[in-house]
Amino acid sequence: MTFDLKRMLESKSALRQKLAKRPLAEKLAMLDTLRERALAIREAVEFTRPSAARETPAKYQAEREKE
Amino acid sequence: MSDISRVIAMINLLEEDGIIERYAIGGAVGATFYIEPVATLDVDVFVVFRAEADRHLLSLRPIFDYLTARGGVLEGEYVVIAGWPVQFLPPISPLVEEALADAATVSVEEMPARVFTAEHLAAVALQTGRPKDKARLLQFIESGALKMESFRSILARHGLSDRWREFERTFLSGAQ
Repeated sequence: MTFDLKRMLESKSALRQKLAKRPLAEKLAMLDTLRERALAIREAVEFTRPSAARETPAKYQAEREKE
Repeated sequence: MSDISRVIAMINLLEEDGIIERYAIGGAVGATFYIEPVATLDVDVFVVFRAEADRHLLSLRPIFDYLTARGGVLEGEYVVIAGWPVQFLPPISPLVEEALADAATVSVEEMPARVFTAEHLAAVALQTGRPKDKARLLQFIESGALKMESFRSILARHGLSDRWREFERTFLSGAQ
């Protein structure tokens, strides 16, 4: 582990080169996994977006009824 | 067999059964043949439609009919095959026409897959020019996957040399 930016970038580049050299079938299988992750992230972002229509959380509903 | 390999097998059938004349994979899936896997949500398949004397309008209908009869599901402009949305695209520019004609055949799990060459993928990325295309072009350059002489010659043929110089100036000047 290092906080030397130059070494970090070199390490990232080396990892990418290593991945690029993996057998093609393996790289294509990675695409399946990457897509599943990308979809999960997209769904999470959609859910947390302020403009998304959402039911009033139960806690706040109860607070309103008290008023 | 990965889901994406199942997609390739189905596209091969489209060609073998004469529904399309020729295909080649482009986009992020195409790039993955040359560089590290590139996250994407869909598969771009460029197709040469089969010529029919009595038809002058290009239609995706024969492709959609063929694939839905074999389990594909239509979703907007995509056909979902093995869980992957696949978009079939006509050659929209002389560059893409050339990319389709020069595409390489690569063996994937003992079946053929036709894919744009690395140089054509990079040239199409430069031409398309969205931020993600520029990022992909940088990945191609960093990885050393491009034959630069061939790449420059494609750019010259398709009037992209100025755009390339601008890209170099913006992203590569001072790069080590």
